Order: sequence, then structure tokens, then C-alpha cells
Amino acid sequence: MQATPAPARSTSVPGDAAIVARNLSKRYGSARKGVDALSEVNLTIPRDRIYGLIGRNGAGKTTFVRIAGTQLLPTSGSLTVLGHDVLTEASTIRLSIAAVPQESRPLYFLNVDELIFLYLMTRGMERREARRRTDSILEELSLAPVRKRLVSHLSGGMRRRAMVAMVLASDADVIFLDEPTTGLDPFARREVWAAIRRAKREHRTVLLTTHYLDEAEALSDRLALIEAGQVKVEGTPTEIRDRVRLPYRVSVQGGFVRSELEPFGEVSAFDGGFLVFAREKDARELAMAALSRGARVALGPVSLEDIFLQIVGRPLDDGMDAETEA
Amino acid sequence: MAGVRRRIQTLLTLAYMNGIVPMRTQPLYLLGVLASPLSFLFFVTIASGGKLFLTSVAGGMVLTMVSIGTSLQTDMSHYRQDLKLQDLLVASPVEAPVYVAGMALSELVYSLPGIVVFAVLWLHYAPVTPFSVGSAIAILLLVWAFASGLGFTMATYFADVRETFIFSTLVSLGLSVVPPVYYPVSFLPANLQPFAYLSPTTYAADLMRNAFGLESLSIRAIATDWGVLISFTIVLIGIAALKAQWRET
Repeated sequence: MQATPAPARSTSVPGDAAIVARNLSKRYGSARKGVDALSEVNLTIPRDRIYGLIGRNGAGKTTFVRIAGTQLLPTSGSLTVLGHDVLTEASTIRLSIAAVPQESRPLYFLNVDELIFLYLMTRGMERREARRRTDSILEELSLAPVRKRLVSHLSGGMRRRAMVAMVLASDADVIFLDEPTTGLDPFARREVWAAIRRAKREHRTVLLTTHYLDEAEALSDRLALIEAGQVKVEGTPTEIRDRVRLPYRVSVQGGFVRSELEPFGEVSAFDGGFLVFAREKDARELAMAALSRGARVALGPVSLEDIFLQIVGRPLDDGMDAETEA
Repeated sequence: MAGVRRRIQTLLTLAYMNGIVPMRTQPLYLLGVLASPLSFLFFVTIASGGKLFLTSVAGGMVLTMVSIGTSLQTDMSHYRQDLKLQDLLVASPVEAPVYVAGMALSELVYSLPGIVVFAVLWLHYAPVTPFSVGSAIAILLLVWAFASGLGFTMATYFADVRETFIFSTLVSLGLSVVPPVYYPVSFLPANLQPFAYLSPTTYAADLMRNAFGLESLSIRAIATDWGVLISFTIVLIGIAALKAQWRET
């Protein structure tokens, strides 16, 4: 998604864009008492790339994905997928997309093999091709040993992996993955990552939402940070880092009171100490001062998590349990 | 042509997935399909001293078809709300009418063992002609169609699958227990008989008893019963088609 200036009313689609949103808004509930889930969002998601949407629960990520996936109508604005309008050409779009919805679960009476194979068959894939793709994805995501096991007998992480396997095995040009690795162990996450990267090599577009910023950074060619229904920052991971005013982080434990740190940069309490976002020169000076006082200190470039904190003013997981995704 | 092939493949795959596979993995659940119809058959037969045995067999077939509607309602609510299956399929080439038809067909497939049990009882205890078999199949298909339409329509209203269980009980009560499905309408007091004809299953059971040779309806009564049953089916399928919207607003 590129934060391009929005034309007043345009349906033109850049040739290399998979998804284009213009002034896209979604309001749940009535005009007076409703809640804005998306407000005038303008995004361009390039083809054949992995695009990450990051943000807290309720930020609007899932709403965007559901509109693009033709599951939800927008309140205003436009959105096209592969050049087709979600309002008037939904049937055409559906021939070319696949999605793993947030919190989706597989039919419990199917085994893993059936889950993937029958999904491909419901999409209309030719039987032999569906069998070939099923066998391939089972191997790739290390699901072959449990292929005959009922999904109701799998762990939560394995079920999630099976769901992701379904859509990655499909022939969809655009794949929507809403929190695809929630509940997976680190090893399984990396297997899913590898499969997602393969989808990109096959010239497919993947729109990914995630709470895991390391995942977003590891997978995404471009990222957008959504907060309160608006795109706060957008670009490649490198571009996003370059936009940050204070690109270094220094964590200090002991040896300082808050007021002594404030001249170096922006200070926040962190894990019994302080976290300071600073320019390179100030960060070096602070680190040296901390070392001279015998304080514990760590210095490095800001992470996506830090950037999120700087832009939004609170960490990604703040209030995550209390809110539900819009 | 490719679109037609794809739709038929989707329909049959859904029927296999939700009809055949559960039979294989959860065979005990099949007893659940038979439990209510066979229980009524048992009690009505005992209470009537055996006089209403064949009437109950005919009623059991109708009740089994009505149960398809309640099963469809529960399945579709569960799959939509708890499993997010509908969201998954919306973002795919699967079309809403094909999904509904496939799910309804799967429920029919899942109920076939129950129908076979009643059909065996019918074949064993009463004379059967090709015409009576053809009539019974046509009647039961209409009951399947309107029960599926009703089940799908109701599934769109519930926010929680537990609500569907309550409604399923009410549907069974209103369509198959209270109306004259397991007994002739003449058993009802005269002032209650008009109310029985508010239920489409009354017409279906009338026609089934006629097909079984248990009642001899006039041509006019037969035409009326078919007309009303077909009208109910068209209306309920029409409402279901209007409600079959893939996308949320």
C-alpha cells in the first residue's frame, strides 16, 4: 500500500497494482451512533508482492481485508482488486482470490488431506491438479505425517497451519491471510513464512495482517501501519525506518532519573528502566554516559515495535485482550 | 460451459463433504437422524395398538425430511459464526446459491439412511406400486426443499448457534409433532382441524398416506394438497433466495 495522494474520484488502476483503495471508509452501525472502522483510506498494493497490514486490535485491518475479499460492503469510497470494483464486479474478483479469515476453524470431521483437497475441489479445480497441489503443500508445511488425522484431533497451531495450507494450495492470484500464524510455535511460523514466500515467487499477491511485527518485517515487501481506521505510515520496512525522526533506541537500567535522560531524546518507562529514542549522536553520548555510571545499557536501531510506539503513542499489544478486531 | 461444470463440481463436493464424510467419521451421529422419527413411530404404534403403524411410517419419512431443515439451519449457523466457513467461501469462486444448494443436498444425503429404514418398513408391510413410490419421492423432495428453504432463512437471523437449538425444537414441534403427520387429521377435534392446515407438513402427510393407500383422497383434495405444498415450497425457497446474500453490509 503506498500512501499516494487520493484523486477526487478516480477508478483508474495503476498497471502494477493488485489492490487500490480510494477514500475507502467503513462505518459500523448507524450514521449517528456508529463506529468508524476505516476513514478515507487510500492505499495501492502492488502485484506479486507480500503486503503487511499492522496495527492493534480494532485498528481496521480486518475490515480492510474483508472489504477487499468481497465479504463486506464499504460505506463509501472505492476499492478494486486486479482492476475489478468490489461493488460491481465481486463475482469476477472471487474467481481470483482466496482468504483465511481471522479466527476461522476447519470443519472438525475432515482429515487434513480432505480439508485441503475438498477446498480446492469446491473452488472448481480439476481433480488431478487438486490432488497434486494437496500433496505438495502437505509436504511443504510438514503436514504429511498427519494428513489422515482428523482436524479435531490436531493442536490449535496445526489447525491454523492446515487452514493456511488450504489457500496457499489454491490457484488464487490474490491471497488474504488475516493473522495467519496466531497460535503457531516459532518453528511452524517459519514454515508458514516459507510457504508465503513461495506464493510470492509464484507471482501471487499476499495481503497479510499480523500482530507480530517481526513477521511483518520478515515477510513484507511493503507495510502499512493502521491506527483508528487510518493509515499512519506506509512503505518498505527500510523506508519506514528512514522516516523515523529518532532512529536509535537506548535502553537504560539504573544510574539515571528521567529528567537526566530527557535532553537526549524521547523517554518512556520500560521494564523497570527507561527507553530513549534518540538521534545517532545523542544515542552514542547517552550510551557512553550510562557506561561511565555503571548502568546497564543497550543501543541499537529502532525496531518496528519502537516505531509503532513512536507513531501511535502506545505499544501494539496495549489493550489487545480488551478489544475485538473491527 | 466451464462455469456450469465448476458449479456442479462445487455442489457435489459440498454434498460429499458435509454429507458422506461425516457418515464415515461419525457413524453414531446417524442414529441421531433416526432417533426422533423412530421414537414417534414406536410410541404411536404402541398407543394405537398397531393401527397407526403404517401412518407413522409415512409420518416418519416426512419428519426425517423436516429434520433436514433444522439440521441445515444449525449447520449453517455454526459454520458461519463459529468456523467462519462462509467468509472463507465468499472469498472464492463458490456462489451463494450453489453453497446453499450444496449444503441442502448434503443434509439430504446424510438423511438417506433414515429414509431407507422407513422405506424398508413400508415395502415389507404394505403393497407398493411404481406410482406410489414415485409420488412418495416427489412429496419428500418437496418437503426437503421447503424445509431447507426455511432452515436457511432462519439461519440468517441467529447471532449465536445456541439460539438455533431452541428454534429447531420449535420447528419440529410446529411442523411435525403437533400437526397430523403421525396421525390422520380426523383425529383432531373439528374446531382444531382448520389450524392443522396452516402447516405444509399436513398436506405432505395427507399425500403420503394417500400414496401408502391408507387414505383415499378425492382428485380435488389431491390437487389441493399438491398445489399448497408446491406453493409453500416456492415461497420458502424464494425467501431463502432473497436472504442468500454473500456479503455483509
